Amino acid sequence: MPPPPASPWPLLQLRRVCRLSLDRPASLPVDTRACLFARPQTAKTACFSTSPARWANPSPKKKGLVAAPKRGTRTLNVKRGKRASGQSTARPPAVGERKAQRKRVVLSNNNALPVPGLVDLDKSNALSDDIRGHVMGIPDLAVDALRAVDAFKPTQGWRLFRRPATLIRTETARLAGLVRDVQAPAEGQARATVRRILTGDRLSGKSTLLLQGLAVAWLQGWVVVNLPEAKDLVNGHTDYAPLPGSRPAQYTQDTYTASLLSQMVAANSALFAATRVVTKPTLPVPLPATATLKQLAELGIASPEASWPVFVALWAELTHPGRPPVMLTLDGLSHIMRESDYLSADVKPIHSHDLTLVRHFVDHLSGKVPLPNGGIVLAATSTSNAPSSPALDFSVLLAKARARNAHPSHTPTWNPYRVVDQRAMECLANVDTLNVSGLSKEEARTIMEYYAQSGLLRAKVDEKLVAEKWSLAGMGNVGELERTSIRLV
Amino acid sequence: MPSRLNILSFARPIAYRPKPQASWRPQPPVRAVPSQYRAFADSKQPPANETETNNLHVSEEAAKTAEIMGETPPAVEEKGTPVEEVVKDDKDAQKNLPKVMQDAIKAKQSNSAPKGSRSYSTMTTSVTGAGELDMGLIDFQSPATPPAIPGAKFGLPSLPLPQGSNYKRRYDVVVDQVTNLLMRHGEKSAAQRNMSLILQHLRTSPIPTINPTRPLIPGAPPPSHLPLNPILYLTLAIDSVAPLMRIRNQKGAAGGGVALQIPVPLGQRQRRRAAIQWILGAASKRRDKGSGKGGLAQKVGEELISVVEGRSGVWDRRNAIHKQGVAARSNIVLPRKR
Repeated sequence: MPPPPASPWPLLQLRRVCRLSLDRPASLPVDTRACLFARPQTAKTACFSTSPARWANPSPKKKGLVAAPKRGTRTLNVKRGKRASGQSTARPPAVGERKAQRKRVVLSNNNALPVPGLVDLDKSNALSDDIRGHVMGIPDLAVDALRAVDAFKPTQGWRLFRRPATLIRTETARLAGLVRDVQAPAEGQARATVRRILTGDRLSGKSTLLLQGLAVAWLQGWVVVNLPEAKDLVNGHTDYAPLPGSRPAQYTQDTYTASLLSQMVAANSALFAATRVVTKPTLPVPLPATATLKQLAELGIASPEASWPVFVALWAELTHPGRPPVMLTLDGLSHIMRESDYLSADVKPIHSHDLTLVRHFVDHLSGKVPLPNGGIVLAATSTSNAPSSPALDFSVLLAKARARNAHPSHTPTWNPYRVVDQRAMECLANVDTLNVSGLSKEEARTIMEYYAQSGLLRAKVDEKLVAEKWSLAGMGNVGELERTSIRLV
Repeated sequence: MPSRLNILSFARPIAYRPKPQASWRPQPPVRAVPSQYRAFADSKQPPANETETNNLHVSEEAAKTAEIMGETPPAVEEKGTPVEEVVKDDKDAQKNLPKVMQDAIKAKQSNSAPKGSRSYSTMTTSVTGAGELDMGLIDFQSPATPPAIPGAKFGLPSLPLPQGSNYKRRYDVVVDQVTNLLMRHGEKSAAQRNMSLILQHLRTSPIPTINPTRPLIPGAPPPSHLPLNPILYLTLAIDSVAPLMRIRNQKGAAGGGVALQIPVPLGQRQRRRAAIQWILGAASKRRDKGSGKGGLAQKVGEELISVVEGRSGVWDRRNAIHKQGVAARSNIVLPRKR
């Protein structure tokens, strides 16, 4: 038998070992390894290993290795993750900063000229008839109080003038007359509760009249309580919770009530600090004996969950015999004459009147709950930010017909095919209106002279100019008058 | 040698006003020397000359008075040539002058106009009717008397119609132009609201500090007057950065497919349009500070203030155009004279 051809045995073995070590470097079965080779030490330790390379972190992708697009072809250019070239990298404004900027109320303009001979309102002249048709300054303390209750609105033109001043127009004088009547009732009569809805055209000065009423009342030492924007109560932006033990269910808005309490304390600080609690309120938080109204209110401010019981207790204190009259106002009435944006537990919309604060106001407006020490309840309608409220519109028409003693055939009747909001209709059934109309030409002249003295109107204020602007302003609509004479466009 | 004191050579006679003006009237910025040429942007009608009476020089008037009074008049004609004039261009002769006169010449040189000042005016003013700067005052337009034409029962209106005389001219010219350029998608009412907010921003912002390296148009009122006259503020900001010309690229005119840059003068309204576009563009690149409707107006207002204070990049843009125009002025080919 011929010997087998000389095989390159060692060489073949080496190649196989290399192949194996390449293929399965770490997990060769033992038996294979044993039968393979007579020199186990070479098999156990591979001459090299790929594991470090395989288990290493992936190397960062090299940039610029993508082939350039073909010449003449279109490519999609999406700058993902890249900022546009014009955009700045600066930090955006903090949370709430933009809204604060938008809602900022500026009450002075250092460029405007101080008006010589501008007389301030005070306790004695505010109720007199002599100031009718004059522009009167609002004293600083009153400005602080009015600012505390958010009576100044950013849409009003306060920022153009040196300091806040206001025209005492016919409607203001009528409101001051109401204040005077409440304060000094006829012999042997109790102080009355006057309830009014302020109506009027757009920009006719309803919110400003509310502010004037608050200013006059504050100067007389009344308690002023203002709900600056009814929309904030019902638009579902505040927390709410069912009032325990209420049937049908009512809902409290604790954070809003707490902030309202703090506004009340800021605006009526002198009275609250000087008056002691005389009733015995049952509160979830301990109240020290011989506490003042301020301390009582601060309990609610400090713990919002107790704010509604504190508000009820505070109101009981304010209506206690011997206390001053109350001026209770609200702006944007139509928002609370419909269902709110809040939902009940069974996902039904909550009617606005089931919110405790709204109900509190509505009860006083409708006359269901009187103010024992007298006072005025004012609700201003809005024409620029108002959801439709047919019940309110109808009630206002009815009140106007009632005021002019219209014949029954001329009184408006409800369209039976419309869905009626019965609760709104009932609460507005016997509330009178105070219509805010345009300025007379004399009043227009007074306020235009004030503009000119402030350096804002650069013209000679004469009969011709006044007549021109008065006509352009829709027969003396005060907002339009301001727009045509000092807003320039 | 002709007489050195020739009254006819004075560019502007010194007018004697026998009575001081009784009351203050808004006056336009008066140019020291009436321009010899009508600028493209000016109105076609030359401004009416000042009254021709009382235009005698002081010494001339003194001579005339003396003649009337029968005294010996001062020798106007026999005045010699001043030494300074003789040695004006002669550097060697200047060295031999007395020290006092040398100092005087030096002082004169240092007092001369700065290097970059132009001999021509770059001013644009709002000319309404009587050729006066509109200070934003209603009813203060100086009465323009149109020529009496027989047959017109109520006379003819003076043109251009003053602001407010017609409902289409209710607003100031500049305000109208800015409003229209602010307008997007034909929403004029929104543009007007923005315009109103811009003017309100100017009205309530603090008094601007003027940067002397960025001079506003000559005749600008002091900065303390600006916030209370927001239309003037706006006009001043726009007119101060309004370019005098634009650069037209004439294709292929330079040969070899290269465009030739030719400066083209702009009219008043065009100049303003360019400036407003620049300002609005710069404003829209600013950062929003608040939210809501007044954001754009606030940014435009801030940009206008920064223009007046010389901080805005619009100034560089205007200067670049002017520099380019100066470089390209050799490309203007005037029609050859025959």
